[in-house]
Amino acid sequence: MALARYKNWLLWAVLMAVVIGWFGWGGRPQMVGLFVASGLAVGSLYALGGIGIVVLYRATGVLNFAGGAAGAAGAMTAWQLSEWGLWDPIGWLACLAVALAITLVYGRLIAPRLAWRETVVKAVATLGFALIVLGLVSFLWIDDPRAITLPTDGIGVRILGMRITATRLIVFAASILIVFGIWLFLARTRVGLQMRALANDRDLAALMGIPILRVETIAWGISGVLAGFTGLMFADLIRLEPTVITFMVIPSIAAAICGRLENLTVVLLGGLSMGVIENMLTLSPVLRGVRPIAPFVIAALVLLYYQRGQRLTFGGRD
Amino acid sequence: MKRLFHVTPSGWAGFALAAFAIVVLPGLSSSYWLSVFTSAGCFLLAISGVAFLYARLGMVSLTQVGLMGVGGWVALRLNHAFDFPFEVNLALAALSTMVFGWVLALPALRMRGLYLALVTLMAAGGLEILFATFQFPNGGEGFWGVKTGSSDPFRRPFLAQSAEDYLRYVLICAVLGFLFIELHRRLQPGRAWALIRRSEAAAMAAGVNVTLYKTWAFGITGLLGGAAGALLAGSLGLLDDGTFRASESVMIFALAVVGGARSWQGALIAAILYKVLPALLNIWGVYADLSFVIFGAGLLHAVITAPDGLAGQALGGLKALLRGKDRRDA
Repeated sequence: MALARYKNWLLWAVLMAVVIGWFGWGGRPQMVGLFVASGLAVGSLYALGGIGIVVLYRATGVLNFAGGAAGAAGAMTAWQLSEWGLWDPIGWLACLAVALAITLVYGRLIAPRLAWRETVVKAVATLGFALIVLGLVSFLWIDDPRAITLPTDGIGVRILGMRITATRLIVFAASILIVFGIWLFLARTRVGLQMRALANDRDLAALMGIPILRVETIAWGISGVLAGFTGLMFADLIRLEPTVITFMVIPSIAAAICGRLENLTVVLLGGLSMGVIENMLTLSPVLRGVRPIAPFVIAALVLLYYQRGQRLTFGGRD
Repeated sequence: MKRLFHVTPSGWAGFALAAFAIVVLPGLSSSYWLSVFTSAGCFLLAISGVAFLYARLGMVSLTQVGLMGVGGWVALRLNHAFDFPFEVNLALAALSTMVFGWVLALPALRMRGLYLALVTLMAAGGLEILFATFQFPNGGEGFWGVKTGSSDPFRRPFLAQSAEDYLRYVLICAVLGFLFIELHRRLQPGRAWALIRRSEAAAMAAGVNVTLYKTWAFGITGLLGGAAGALLAGSLGLLDDGTFRASESVMIFALAVVGGARSWQGALIAAILYKVLPALLNIWGVYADLSFVIFGAGLLHAVITAPDGLAGQALGGLKALLRGKDRRDA
């Protein structure tokens, strides 16, 4: 019984060990370690994006495609402010504020008008908003190579003989802390309880007098700040380009799928595994070219695994 | 039998418009507009597939442009490997995309609604990367058939060598696609789909093989998408991976909703918005990024105010107008 309970975890651990062992075989342990470490950083970005999506989806029923666009707008603002010579922390705060503001505009002004539509249509509507934001951002900052550097990029930490930049450690630690924080928030606070009630049954929660607008606004706010943070980190670690950051939502959704759009811990682990596996593929001469495909394949396999043994029956809601 | 071939007023309007487009439009267009209209025709065929799936079964496919890419890839591959005429390439491309759609759909069909959409989105993301990595065949050696430099010529259909004739050819294919869907809708699959759309439980209780008919519908969508991809390959002679991004697939679905998935007019509006509007904006010199803004705002407006899409809104207005006239006459 105990074994059956932990079977999924065991399977996951074995699979990860096999993947790392397979691709890392013959490489120097330190090099493999570096690949795993930078994979964990990229995976944390996927996971952070996924967490924002899941929190919002559970509380409001909206799958938000616009998180990446909000993050892109924030990151570009941060770049602009540092270009104007402002003190860097102001730029970082501005990044979070811009992403928060953009997300709240959608959450308060547009989302309520679509409350009665199907989930998929709601998701597609956020894509419309993402296009508006992306169009404006690309109009304001025309295509040009840019980069954001955080002071932590220069600081290296030695772990097991490997030098890892502090930014990567921060992203990794942040993803874990954020999952823990959100878990605490959902489990211990009144708003968290109301959010869980909404996620459980929206109509019933509304009948019980839960202040839906307030709870939803808080959820939009959380996802907005997360989007801003993810955008800033993505711009620093990978690339500062609005289109790329905007469509980072697609692998984030892959991470969210791993947690069935509900379990934050699994979203975190799924995102991290995706990042690591994607990076390990670099070591394979055959699969190197297709390595960005990893998140999608993993998400598809995870979905297939979840529904094993299920039959098409009279389902309830989606 | 009589009811099977009954043509509705909307159908007559469609035939009239198609006849106009096929006879008159190519003569009026410059070469720029010929290529715009031709690719709009290809995407019309692809959009008719997604719209059909959404309207008849409530299923959301976010991978239609990816399937177009598969069809285009097969057509290019066959063209450069063998001496088949275009029609054979087209048919094989459409059929193999249909099979690809089935393979994709079978595991996905146990899921409903959002999950099905997300699985297809993952497929679109995967296909995007495959296309970017392996590129489209252009006459090179080996299985992937890619070479640097200019590509080998793509054989167009015997009947449609010139750009004008090819536009006619694509439009006829699009009309055939709509008729194919309509025929299905009026036969047994259509009845099964209608039942599934209402309630899967009721359909199962009534003895409908839900999995079979859902897969069937997905296959039709793949068939139309594959044919559209092959036609697009014929129009351009070569394909670029930038055309088949996952974001484009999502966009196509979004536009199908904007136009209105339930009618042919909606698919037409979607194709025009997707291909003709950007071309117009390009001519007017509107900054390309701002066209995104117009697009997104249009999408939000349509999704919020018009559940049946712009076509539904327009047709509703027309009906109200006619009813008003009848009342005045009486």
